[in-house]
Amino acid sequence: MARDRRQSEDFTGPLKRLLLGVVLLCLLGIFLLWRIDSPRVERFRAQVVDTVVPNFDWAMAPVTGTVNILRDFQSYERLYDQNRELRRELQQMTQWKEAALQLEQENARLLDLNNVRLDPRMTFITGGVRADSGSPFRQSVLLNVGARDGIKDGWAAMDGLGLVGRISGVGDNSARVILLTDTSSRIPVTVQPSGQTALVLGDNTAAPPVDFIENAGSVRPGDRVITSGDGGVFPPGLLVGQIALDPSGRMRLRLAADYERLEFLRVLRDLGGETIENPGALIETAPPTPPSDVAEEGAQATEEAPNDG
Amino acid sequence: MVEHRGTYLWSMRALFALLCLGIIFWRLLPLDMLPRGWAGPDLIAALAFAWVLRRPEFAPPLLIGLMVLLADLLFQRPPGLWAALVVLGAEALRSRSADLRDMGFGPEWLTVATVLMIMTLAERLILAILLVDQAPLVLNLMQMGATIAAYPFVVMASALLARVRKIRPGDDSSMGQRT
Repeated sequence: MARDRRQSEDFTGPLKRLLLGVVLLCLLGIFLLWRIDSPRVERFRAQVVDTVVPNFDWAMAPVTGTVNILRDFQSYERLYDQNRELRRELQQMTQWKEAALQLEQENARLLDLNNVRLDPRMTFITGGVRADSGSPFRQSVLLNVGARDGIKDGWAAMDGLGLVGRISGVGDNSARVILLTDTSSRIPVTVQPSGQTALVLGDNTAAPPVDFIENAGSVRPGDRVITSGDGGVFPPGLLVGQIALDPSGRMRLRLAADYERLEFLRVLRDLGGETIENPGALIETAPPTPPSDVAEEGAQATEEAPNDG
Repeated sequence: MVEHRGTYLWSMRALFALLCLGIIFWRLLPLDMLPRGWAGPDLIAALAFAWVLRRPEFAPPLLIGLMVLLADLLFQRPPGLWAALVVLGAEALRSRSADLRDMGFGPEWLTVATVLMIMTLAERLILAILLVDQAPLVLNLMQMGATIAAYPFVVMASALLARVRKIRPGDDSSMGQRT
């Protein structure tokens, strides 16, 4: 019986085996190609995501909504406690709001006195969260804004309060944000008020560890952590979170962004600061010559300048 | 009659693809943004194995490969590797499906568990050799365990809902026919 079956399989076997071989070869080829030329395959991945996920969109919103409503029903049981907690927090917040208003006024006065110009180009694009990474090994979300809206790789994504992650992978209508909790996330930060620089290393937990602190003794739990802007990774000064100690005494970051409710994210436009190179050029190209020549050379210099940058 | 069987075959293949897409869809829902610290089962692999052992013609290698590759791409996994491993595992089971058919569920479950373990180990090994960043080992093992644990339920569900059962002597066998 078994022999018969095997023989009948042999009849169509070679074709099947060939097909199997081709499938395996293609799959392993894609994997090797990804290992060798990662950016190209990642672009392909972004395109696939861009074409597939929007097709799910019509169903995703209602299903997500329904599940969230069901979850909210569960939380009704704790309604009374939550209400009391919220009242207490509201009281504290009112105090803070008063303080913040006073500080804002004072800040505005001081800025005015000093004639400070803040970077005016810090604008943002808001996108809705469309899907998460779908895997417990990766922490990322998919936004419904993409290259069409001018999003570029490497820009920072925040919720209303704190940093959430950075853009990595842009399709035409979608962009992926690698969250700070992902294992591949490394963010240079500054700890305030001591000004120590450090790195936030994502490790697939809700509170990523803070490492490479120059002088760990001067950093205390509760210190604010902001991006340092080192290496041009992010604009400096974005709030990331607070230092906290875990039971084993390791420094971790309590994230300011509310990771439980990521619905809308702001993507900060970062057009890159102008860098000044060639320190002596301006002085050297102004020899004591008649005024007309100076004007011409000045014009040339301004024409060349953008090419250099 | 032959035509009828052909449409049945293709509708079951379409059902397999739909189920895989449904699983992918469910995993992509933005419900939990916090890292969970635990890993659920890889239902696509379990589904593919269950179907390959029952009605091999419903889950051809090309379809399995395509579905897992799509999952690889959408879930930010190294594309192609897990897909190739699942196809290989499914083929290993397919070649044993004739022997396993006559035994009970116990030996089948054991075989599937062994294949899943080998696949997980192979994935970690290949990624380690090629120096790719890897998730913590615990998560991988947890996923493997969850897949093995979920396998009986997948089998039960596909038997009850999609009527994917082992072919018994009395059934109208469509095994020998190549489509």
